[in-house]
Amino acid sequence: MMILELLKTIWVSLKVSGSATLIASLLAVPLALFLSSTEFKGKRLILLINQTWMAAPTVVIGLLFYFLLSRTGPLGAFGILFSQTAMMIGQIVLILPLIIGFAYSALRQVDQKARLTALTLGASPSQAGWIVIKEAKYPLIIALLAGFARAVSEVGISMMLGGNIRGETRNITTTIALESSKGEFSNAVVLGILLLGITLGINLMVNTGLREKV
Amino acid sequence: MTIDLAYQLRGIRYDYPANKFALELENLEFSAGRIIALVGPNGAGKTTLLLLLGLLQKPTQGELKFFRVDPWQSQELLFEKRKEVVLVTHHPYLFSGTVFDNLVFGLRVREIPEPEWKGRTGEALAMVELNGFEDKPVKELSAGQAQRLALARAIIVKPRVLLLDEPTANIDAGLVSRIESVISEVNARLSTTIIFSTHNFSQAYRLADQVLYFSDGKQVKYSHENYFSGKAETAEKMSWIEPKPGAKIFFPGAHQGHLTCVISPEKIEVFRDDRKNTLSGPNIFSGRIIRLEMAENNLALLRMSGDLNFRINLPIAELEEKGISLSSPVLVRFAPEAVELIK
Repeated sequence: MMILELLKTIWVSLKVSGSATLIASLLAVPLALFLSSTEFKGKRLILLINQTWMAAPTVVIGLLFYFLLSRTGPLGAFGILFSQTAMMIGQIVLILPLIIGFAYSALRQVDQKARLTALTLGASPSQAGWIVIKEAKYPLIIALLAGFARAVSEVGISMMLGGNIRGETRNITTTIALESSKGEFSNAVVLGILLLGITLGINLMVNTGLREKV
Repeated sequence: MTIDLAYQLRGIRYDYPANKFALELENLEFSAGRIIALVGPNGAGKTTLLLLLGLLQKPTQGELKFFRVDPWQSQELLFEKRKEVVLVTHHPYLFSGTVFDNLVFGLRVREIPEPEWKGRTGEALAMVELNGFEDKPVKELSAGQAQRLALARAIIVKPRVLLLDEPTANIDAGLVSRIESVISEVNARLSTTIIFSTHNFSQAYRLADQVLYFSDGKQVKYSHENYFSGKAETAEKMSWIEPKPGAKIFFPGAHQGHLTCVISPEKIEVFRDDRKNTLSGPNIFSGRIIRLEMAENNLALLRMSGDLNFRINLPIAELEEKGISLSSPVLVRFAPEAVELIK
């Protein structure tokens, strides 16, 4: 395998999973903020569904979106099956509940008085919400990193929705699957170690650098 | 000159969804520019009232006017009015970061130009004797310093109304008078209306132009005579404090440490002291009626001075029946169960 192709593979992984994490966070954190600061009927049910969804197997999400995005499916007109966009959508769906769940408990840990204090000092509700997010910033970063780690290491969605197209949608995990099925274990092992390295790096950040500040 | 009203409350009710507690206030007005103390045992509704006055909780029922305007009319109006009143909670929350970060929070959201910040933070810190603490991380502050910072963080925005929930509860004895003079100073210099809750009667009377009493979510006509403090002692499932030598107040249960208790004036029985030794049991005190006032609802308010000083409520009709008038010698009695403890 050429070094350039290898770099391209790594880049696809980082780009797709990075964007998926970013978009999922933009959706999940405000939602978690709302859930953590409001009491309403059905909230427990929402949290329960979210928890269940967290454990959804990647291939099930892959399969679901395969049907949705295939030419004859309801979203077939967009023609995005077997593209990076399709992989990204699948990964967003995969990690959204994870980030919601982690962010929810991170925001719940912030004293309810933080919001009240911000409001009484003259903050608008959005400024007060921002303060709560700021007070929970380290556990929130952990939530995002956990989401990214899950996205970058999954293979089912990338395979089914990306199609493992060389130079296009082939990423680290689908390459590992391909190389090992071809019997090219040395390439698979190198990439496997690389992926482990990325997730290890994230976990190290989570466990050492950030923990002290939490 | 007409006195402006900071608050007008009419038929206010606030229900907590989770429990039975409710705050009910028929008619209550707070004049602007004054210092008002809210006094009562824990659970009396003082904190809830402060949250309502701070426009942080909406009354379940009734009308609350803040400087003659209903702030809950619209969200925009509410946020505008909230900028005029600051509540300093009991065990205040400090934002992570430094003392300076905390102080400028209110200035930042009010879009006060940055060049002004330095002067104002310095001034505010000096008032609470935390000079030079600007760059200190809040994690390193003691509970008392945190309380003082929270006060400075509120004062710095120069609110029209300052609400303080037990402002000296975490403060070292030596600094209580400093905090009290800050309260007086802010009121005098900026004519800020200050409403604070306290358990400390002498503090309430020392600082406030007006003292309001609360019990069980209602405003009551308590008087400070029925509050007593002392070190608790226990024997045989009863405890007592001895506020004055020889005068013991008994109450049920085992208790330790310094306690304050309150006896509701309605729960005190009064007798003319002419049949000595006919009363027996705990919590009997003798004295003389030193004040007699006629109040609403055909009630007489009595003040008794003797072993201990009590405030007693009695239907006017019973005065004659019991032969009680000014300077009568009297005995008072109340059940140990009528004694309410304040932690």
